[in-house]
Amino acid sequence: MIPVIDEEECTGCGTCIEICPPGAITLVDGKARIAGDLCEECGFCAPECPVEAIKIPFPLKGP
Amino acid sequence: MERYPHIFQSGTIGKLVTRNRIKYAATETNFPYGDGYVSDREVAYMEAQAKGGAGIVTTQGAYPDKKGEGKGFKGMMSINDDKFIPGLARIADVIRANGALSSIQILHCGREGGIELDYCLMPSIVPQKLSYFKPPREITATEIKQAVKDHVDAARRARQAGFDMIELSGIVGYLISTFISRYTNKRTDEYGGDLKARCRLMIEIIEGVKAEVGDMAVGIRLCGHELLDDRGGNTFEESVESFRIAQEAGADYLSVTIGWHESSQSVITRDVPMGHWLYIAEAVKKAVDVPVMMAFRQFLPHIPEKAIAGGQIDFVEMCRPMMADPEFPNKIRQGREKEIVPCIACNACFSRLYYHQPIMCSVRPNLGHEGEEEWGYYGFKPAPKKKKIAIVGGGPAGLQCAEVAARKGHEVTLFEKNDRLGGNVLIASMVDAGAIELMRPIATLEELCRKAGVSIRLGVECDPAMVREEAPDALVVATGGAMKGVSGEVLTPQDVMVKDRKIGQRVAIIGGGGVGLGIAVYLLRHGEHEITIIDEGGKPGRDVNPFYFWQYMALMKKKKVNFMKRTRMTAIEDGRIGVLSPSGEGTVEADSIIMSVFYPEEEVWGRKASTLAKEVYFIGDAKKPRRIINAIHDGYRLGMVL
Repeated sequence: MIPVIDEEECTGCGTCIEICPPGAITLVDGKARIAGDLCEECGFCAPECPVEAIKIPFPLKGP
Repeated sequence: MERYPHIFQSGTIGKLVTRNRIKYAATETNFPYGDGYVSDREVAYMEAQAKGGAGIVTTQGAYPDKKGEGKGFKGMMSINDDKFIPGLARIADVIRANGALSSIQILHCGREGGIELDYCLMPSIVPQKLSYFKPPREITATEIKQAVKDHVDAARRARQAGFDMIELSGIVGYLISTFISRYTNKRTDEYGGDLKARCRLMIEIIEGVKAEVGDMAVGIRLCGHELLDDRGGNTFEESVESFRIAQEAGADYLSVTIGWHESSQSVITRDVPMGHWLYIAEAVKKAVDVPVMMAFRQFLPHIPEKAIAGGQIDFVEMCRPMMADPEFPNKIRQGREKEIVPCIACNACFSRLYYHQPIMCSVRPNLGHEGEEEWGYYGFKPAPKKKKIAIVGGGPAGLQCAEVAARKGHEVTLFEKNDRLGGNVLIASMVDAGAIELMRPIATLEELCRKAGVSIRLGVECDPAMVREEAPDALVVATGGAMKGVSGEVLTPQDVMVKDRKIGQRVAIIGGGGVGLGIAVYLLRHGEHEITIIDEGGKPGRDVNPFYFWQYMALMKKKKVNFMKRTRMTAIEDGRIGVLSPSGEGTVEADSIIMSVFYPEEEVWGRKASTLAKEVYFIGDAKKPRRIINAIHDGYRLGMVL
């Protein structure tokens, strides 16, 4: 699952850019953006975000 | 003549008879939904495991309690309510339909539980060593009774869902193990004290479950060696005795595991020789009469074959090797060993679980997509239009792309300039003990490519002119990354590890990613060097899996490697490197300077490529330098759409 960035919350601090193993995150207009074709969906970025702006869209509800 | 007669003899567990001695062991996947319901994805994955030919297929652990204190993973399956029975029954059904016996694991994660709560339950408060887990709260006597009841109720649901066996789990820090271990159980009531008392929770659960579902076989996984000697864990003798106590309580089979998650010792990484832990299973087997089984680094079939023949184990359990290839049992039975997609113990699967991501496999991109036709787990549909495809580069990305494209019916030619396939994996495979295993998927891909009809042209340096002559419909550039500024006195990883260039005493490595750390590890294993690693980022090794990262960093610390973080190289002259760091300008003196930073391929193919064929693609490091998982997945995903 490719993480989702809440642009309202993102401060553009760059912490996730530093942590991302495949280097899939860049800053675009001061906000983190994940390149879908490079993201390997490891999820390492989410817990590192100091303002919890990165969410893993885990499917919470079963049928 | 059967090549593995001991693996492929039938076995017995309680009153049940198995078709062979292979058990797919319980593995969390994060495929189920966050509320505990089984998903289609999980059913398809389990179906693939059952079709693969194992004698017993175990489900992932399902947590038995209502509060979620036993829940250790965001997408962990639940068995805490009757409403989950229909979903669980789907798993039991697909296992039965494919001729395997089914075992469902009931798992209370204990010290690693309470994933959505702000605490975890433990017999006594022993602070977490791994920061990921929740702060412990001491379980009350009433809650212990409830935990036993939860397991018993879960067992009833398991029978209603149609499973053949029930497996309990008391390993690595899960609830039962925290009671058994002296390290985490400091209780003064009847659940603490000597080993027998510390095993009381386990005994009550086994006896309770047996009383509820007496007609089913009930097994348990326990720690054969906690590897917690530095923190006052159980002795090896106590651990072995805990298996005997479990048998006495009624366990029908015993699964031997090694280490806790917080043990400070390698257990399942490549540096641990295959079959290393069998002596522990053997010690358990000598102490008990019921079947004994073990997983742990038995990746090559001759290892369990010998272990079963020699009486060390009765069954071999497989987790990672069968995640990488569910067809492992069928392939070794049919003499198709060379086609096994081999686990490389990279543990990408494992670490993903703790980041709330479904498991993924470096070497098998279709893991978790078994039910989706376009991913081709059961074979690909032929491509609508047969194309002529030229792939430049015989590393993991090029090979994987070639294999998939050829299976879809395309005419594929793969060019490799070296006389051996593997690309940068040839270098990576030399870094540390066991790294040679990284070449196993290369050998498999070579075999599968040949079988699929790929024309492999070794020792041919394909350039744009050659592509023009070949006139393919599609060109795939998989040449690996490129380096900048390596002329003169600056060496490449290739120079150091393949060409055996002489390396001086003082070494500067530019770049602190996986490649840079790999070079440092390689050098430190072969000699004494004073190493400085100059890294522009603030976190060296961000692309190294945590399972290996801590080992590498421990070695670096011991050998006093100097890390210069957030530091940029500005100039190189006569062994002096000009650097710019947050504290200002400076120089680093070195006898050898090694570049470890790769860039996407641009020089040879970059701009020209689009003029060479109608379709042009860059994959692997040529697209962007990354890890083996990205190379293989790039190749596979491109192959799917070609």
